[in-house]
Amino acid sequence: MVSSVYIESEIRDHPRARKLLERLHNLPVIEIEHYGEVFNPRAQNFRLQKKNPAIIIARKNDGHVLAAPEGYGLGGSHNYYFSHMLNCIYDCRYCFLQGMYQSAHQILFINYEDFGVRMEQVAAKHQGEAVWFYSGYDCDSLANEPMTEFTDHFIPLVASIDNAWMELRTKSTQVRSMLKLQPCERVVTAFSFTDPVSHAKLEHGVPSIAKRVDAMRRLIEAGWTVGLRFDPVVYHRDYQAAFIKLLDEIFTTVDPQKLHSVSLGSFRLTRDHFRKLVRIYPEEPLFAQKMDLDNGIISYPLEREREMIEYCEAQLMKHIPHQSYHPCEWHG
Amino acid sequence: MLIWVSALHCEAKPVIDYYRLKKSHDDSAFDLYRGDDMLCIISGVGKIASAAACAWIAARHDHEASIAWINLGVAGSGQHAIGTAFSLNQVVDADGGQRFYPVPCAGWLLPGSACLTLSKPSEDYCEDTLFDMEASGFIYSALRFSSAELTQGIKIVSDNREHKTGKNRQQVSDLIHHNIEAIDQQASALIALNHEVAGLAVNPESWQQLIALAHFSQTQKNKLRVLWRYLMNRDTNAETVLQKLRGCSSAATIISTLELLSYQDSEGL
Repeated sequence: MVSSVYIESEIRDHPRARKLLERLHNLPVIEIEHYGEVFNPRAQNFRLQKKNPAIIIARKNDGHVLAAPEGYGLGGSHNYYFSHMLNCIYDCRYCFLQGMYQSAHQILFINYEDFGVRMEQVAAKHQGEAVWFYSGYDCDSLANEPMTEFTDHFIPLVASIDNAWMELRTKSTQVRSMLKLQPCERVVTAFSFTDPVSHAKLEHGVPSIAKRVDAMRRLIEAGWTVGLRFDPVVYHRDYQAAFIKLLDEIFTTVDPQKLHSVSLGSFRLTRDHFRKLVRIYPEEPLFAQKMDLDNGIISYPLEREREMIEYCEAQLMKHIPHQSYHPCEWHG
Repeated sequence: MLIWVSALHCEAKPVIDYYRLKKSHDDSAFDLYRGDDMLCIISGVGKIASAAACAWIAARHDHEASIAWINLGVAGSGQHAIGTAFSLNQVVDADGGQRFYPVPCAGWLLPGSACLTLSKPSEDYCEDTLFDMEASGFIYSALRFSSAELTQGIKIVSDNREHKTGKNRQQVSDLIHHNIEAIDQQASALIALNHEVAGLAVNPESWQQLIALAHFSQTQKNKLRVLWRYLMNRDTNAETVLQKLRGCSSAATIISTLELLSYQDSEGL
C-alpha cells in the first residue's frame, strides 16, 4: 500500500504531474525541492519502507539514456538503458533493486520528452545499425502503467526511430494500454518468470504465473513481439520438477514460434549487493544457500550452477527453437 | 523501546498518565519517566535542548536492538484550529534551511503537516506550516540512532492568529490529552514497526554464549553473526544448536557446522 506522495515543487503544474496527483488524490502530498532529499538520505530502513513505499514524482535532469552494463542485452552491438522509474512495486527477494538505493520509495520521472530527445540522439549516432533501449533495468517497465502511461509515449517514439528497438521487461499483467496501440515489431515485451516454488516464496506481490502467461497470450494475439526471461533460475530441492511445471504452464498457452527471444541465467549478485540484501533480509533462505564468490559476483558454486543451467536449458530446448535462445553469460 | 521527547512537562503529562510512566530518580541530566519498553524524556525548550536529550538518552540505551522516537509537543499555526493534531512529514530548520522527512506510515490516523523549527518564539504565522522550537533538533539527533521510519513528530496546535494557549500549562496538557487516543494508535503502529526491526537482531545472551565457545577472529565473527542471525530468525532453538556446537573443537568447525545447518534449512527456500 502506497503511503504518500512526494512531488518536486517545480513540476507541480506539469500536465503529467497533475494527472498523477488527480489519480493519487486520496494520499497525503508532500512538496519537496529535489527527489534526492527524500530518496538519498542514509537513515532509512529499506525493509520497513518496502511495506508502504511512497511515490516520488520528479524530473530527471541528466543521464536519461545510459550505456547498458557489459553482458546486458540480447547480443546487439549498441545497448542502452533508460529508467522512467526507479524501484519496483513488486518485492522479489532476489532482485538487485532490493537495496540498490537507500530508499524503497518509487520515483516516477515525468519528463518523458527529455528521454525521447536523448534516445533520438543516441539512435542517430548509430545510424543504420540496430540500437537497443532497455527500459526494465531500474524498474518493472509495465507494472505502474495505468499511472505512468509509459507505453503511450515511448512505443510511438520507438516506432518513429527506424533503427531503435526497445525491450520492456516486466512481471506485470498491465498490457491493456499496449493492446490499444498499433503493434511495433521493434518493441519486445519480455516477461520474467521463475518456477512456481520460487515464485511463491520469493516474488511477493507479483501476479500469478497463469495471469502473466495470459497477458503474454493477449499480446501475441494482438501482433506484439514478446520474449521470455528465466532469470534468475533459483536453486531449491525441487527446482527441476518446478521448472518443468513452469514450462508446461507457459507452452500450453504460448506458441514458442512466436517468441522473439528467450534467455536464462542463474541467480547472481555483486558481492556488495548480496551483503546488503543479507543485512536487509537476514532470515531469507535464498541468501543462506551455498554460494561462491567469482570475480566480485556471488552465485552458486560452479558445479551446481552448471548442473542447473544444463538441466533447464535441456528442458527449454524441448520447446523453443535454438535460434531464439540467449543464455545469460556472466562468467569472465 | 519507544522514547517520547517533549520540551515541557505539561506536553509530556498526558503520555505519562496514559501509559502510567514512573519518574526515574536515577537520572539527573533530564527528567525521565519510565514504563514497559517505553521512556519519556523532558528535554527543555529549543532545538539544542531536544537534540541533547535525544543524544543523552540514546547513549544510555545503546544496548537496545532498535529505538523508535516520537517528539510530542504543541505548535503554532496560521490556519488550523486550536487542538488539531498533526503527524510531521517534513521538518525544516529555519536557521540552517535543513529539511528532514519523517516517513509517513500508511493507515496513520493523524493528518500530515510540515513544521518549521524556529530558534525564537514568533507569532508571525505567515506560511502554510506548523511552527515549533524543537522538531529539527530532535530529528537531527534521533536520525543518528534510528531510521526516518522510526523517528516521528506529533504536534498539536496550541496557538494561531486568534488564540494563544501555548503558555497555559494546563491547557497545553488538555489539548494533548484530547488527542491521546489518536496519539496512542500512532505510537502502537510505530512500536510494531520497531519490534520488527528489533526482532531481527541477534539476541545478546545467545551471542555471548556462542562466541565464548572458541576464539574467533573478527572475520570469523562477521561470518558467525550472519549465520547465527539467519538460524535464530528461522525459529531454530538456540540452546539445541549451542549444545551441538559445544562438541566442536575449533572456531572453523563451529562455523562449518552452522553453515551446514543453514544450507540444510535453506534448501526448500
